[in-house]
Amino acid sequence: MAESADFDAVVVGAGPAGSSAALALARAGRSVVMVERGPFPGSKNVYGGVVYGRVLDDIIPAWWSEVPVERWVVRRSTMMMTEDQSLAIDYRSHAWGVAPYNGMTTVRSHFDSWLAGKATEAGARLVTSTVATGLVRDGAGRVIGVRTDRDGAELHAPVVIACDGVNSLLAKEAGLLPHAEASHYTLGVKEVLDLPAEVINDRFGVRGHEGVDIEILGCTRGIPGGGFLYTNAETVSIGVVASLPHLSDAKVRPEELIADLKAHPSIAPLLRGATLREYAAHLIPEGGYDTMPPLATDGMLVAGDSAAMTLAAGLWLEGVNFAIGSGYAAGRAADRAVTAGDCSARGLASYRADLEQQFVLADHKRLRKAPALVLSERIQQRYPGLLCDLAEGMFTVTNPSPKAGGLRITRAAAAKHGVKLRELAADTLRGLRIFG
Amino acid sequence: MSMSHPVPTAPLVVACLRVTDLRPEVDLLTGSVRRDRLGVGLSAPDASALEHALRIAEAWSGRVLAVAAGPRSVETVLRDAVALGASVLRIPWDDDGSDHGFAAELAGDEQSLARAIGAALVPFGTPDLVVCGDRSVDRGTGALPAFLAHELHAAQALGLVALSPGAADGTSRRVLDAERRLDAGWREQLVVPLPAVCSVEGAGVRLRRAPLSGVLAAESAVIPTSALPPRPAAGTGRGTGPVLVGATRVFTPRTRVLPAPESPDPRIRLLALTGALVAHDPPTVVGPVGAAEAADALLDFLVRHGYLEEPPVAGSPTGAGDR
Ligand SMILES: Cc1cc2nc3c(=O)[nH]c(=O)nc-3n(C[C@H](O)[C@H](O)[C@H](O)COP(=O)(O)OP(=O)(O)OC[C@H]3O[C@@H](n4cnc5c(N)ncnc54)[C@H](O)[C@@H]3O)c2cc1C
Repeated sequence: MAESADFDAVVVGAGPAGSSAALALARAGRSVVMVERGPFPGSKNVYGGVVYGRVLDDIIPAWWSEVPVERWVVRRSTMMMTEDQSLAIDYRSHAWGVAPYNGMTTVRSHFDSWLAGKATEAGARLVTSTVATGLVRDGAGRVIGVRTDRDGAELHAPVVIACDGVNSLLAKEAGLLPHAEASHYTLGVKEVLDLPAEVINDRFGVRGHEGVDIEILGCTRGIPGGGFLYTNAETVSIGVVASLPHLSDAKVRPEELIADLKAHPSIAPLLRGATLREYAAHLIPEGGYDTMPPLATDGMLVAGDSAAMTLAAGLWLEGVNFAIGSGYAAGRAADRAVTAGDCSARGLASYRADLEQQFVLADHKRLRKAPALVLSERIQQRYPGLLCDLAEGMFTVTNPSPKAGGLRITRAAAAKHGVKLRELAADTLRGLRIFG
Repeated sequence: MSMSHPVPTAPLVVACLRVTDLRPEVDLLTGSVRRDRLGVGLSAPDASALEHALRIAEAWSGRVLAVAAGPRSVETVLRDAVALGASVLRIPWDDDGSDHGFAAELAGDEQSLARAIGAALVPFGTPDLVVCGDRSVDRGTGALPAFLAHELHAAQALGLVALSPGAADGTSRRVLDAERRLDAGWREQLVVPLPAVCSVEGAGVRLRRAPLSGVLAAESAVIPTSALPPRPAAGTGRGTGPVLVGATRVFTPRTRVLPAPESPDPRIRLLALTGALVAHDPPTVVGPVGAAEAADALLDFLVRHGYLEEPPVAGSPTGAGDR
């Protein structure tokens, strides 16, 4: 018979969700073990590059004084582009460059190790290089642990928290996630490029530890998705996300999309002379609120990307903060359920209620229609060109012809891109309803 | 923690592990090497050394002691050895947390390291076998096993691709059967007497996975640390001290002006340029000779071919290492 060990809770995955769940449980005095397949937390984790740390304020007071940061984001830019034009809304804040900060670029192997270290300092156990291969259930079908790839040894606990990330095998095995639904996912690919710190400072208009976050629309050859460019200390991260089924239909290789973006006249000068350090690709659960699985079943909770909690809504690509928020809440709910001696789905239901009270489900619910709008054909394929032409019309000096009025320019741009003014008005209204 | 152990009688097999960053970043422009604490692990030869140590100790019903010299970060790797059932010992070395340069590491004083390891092993009893990873294949001087063998008055065998308990030679003495590569696909079989220091290549065996119970136990295990070994000042002590490495630079052999080949036939001129028409010295077979004579023969060869200007003065701290 396979060996086993008993705990109050087993957390699968030592990403941001898993470490936060383990931290909450350990602080509550529970025996908790994290199982991580990588050799150390964060070793396998891919993301764009920016973490919004406000969620940490209550969990790790003054976290900014110790977190492994690359740069503090003081400039956020949203850029729309066509093949040879771009229009950006660029916001810069001095306040974001001083404590308590707003967002930071950080390397996941450092950030995840740091957060997992907080959990182990609080008493959580961490088992690395170990894969949870499946769920262990009791006679009544309740989840009572996980099986591992160490000779099938099992970890038993009244509650398992699945924080194994996007496409969660455990959530699927528990019947919480559909087996495969490609339309709920995008593929994110990114390159990390080496650039000296002074060159980054000069080209991006920052200094010291200041950093920049640029989100880009219209850079994916019409495939629903977007791009990003973030500055780290001595590297920059550039990447694209693209709807999985559309990418497959378009028969375009994702690295071609990054190559396009790097060659764009607005981006190429920023990256001149940069050398490739790494390339990575990962799925993102971008479906939002409507694609989230039930968050609890008997003996099990799901948190972070396993529960499709990345918020991808145009202006925002936030997943780590949602993973931390949901993981911590899952840990606390598990503790309450263990105390009450009821780890059934009902006993664990306080998890969802808690998430609804805070940003995790509140934001997702409010922005539930955002993914569909942001990934819609007009936003993706027509509006970037329309807005760039509109800007071009406004900023081009046409002497000796008199300046054209705004409405005329808008009409012309809309007609050129096949958008009816009625549709433009309807989409504006829809956007206001969703984001307003 | 200083160690004072009863010395059990079961054979002692020591895995002497060199913990290193497995994914160092090399700056292509400056050649500087950046290392990350998170990347520390065992190279393939060191993993193979640990596996061999475990197998041989099993066969001898012996004990395994995994030893690593280094700063606290080496404890991660020692913890993996604990999970596999080995006793472990960290020898504080470069414990100041500084990230030593790559060249400095290459020039590290392997002799005092060997001395420190030898001293740290004393409380555990004389090792029957020390297994090291053969580091000279990818980097490193490969000198540590030799110094260690000297310290422990043990036989040494290096570059091994197989190592297993040998059939006793009719007496009750234990020996090891070993195998190493020779040129042209040949293999050499060795019978290694004990005590021995053997270095193995990262081939032939794969380090076993620890059971979950072992991993859980290792996770909170206290890693014993030997007393801080005394550091001899460079050039003092029993030996010659460390090799000193000067500024590292690309080695460019001096230009030698050769006369242009003389022949009206371009083909002959070309052949002359390739050296095909010149009679060559046959390969020199030196030996079998002792280590000192072999070293002299090598130095002589280097001088003859213009790689060394003059024979280094015996006992000088700067040798061929800075060339
Ligand atoms: C290209 C890209 C760009 C992104 N950009 C951003 C961004 O800029 N900002 C942001 O906030 N978010 C971003 N995200 C989203 C963010 O990466 C995720 O939301 C976040 O990582 C989710 O955290 P998690 O802990 O839920 O899952 P993960 O970070 O995926 O962690 C899951 C952990 O579980 C482990 N694991 C998985 N299966 C098993 C198993 N069976 N057994 C043991 N361990 C297992 C994994 O090794 C991993 O450590 C981006 C994502 C991508 C792909």
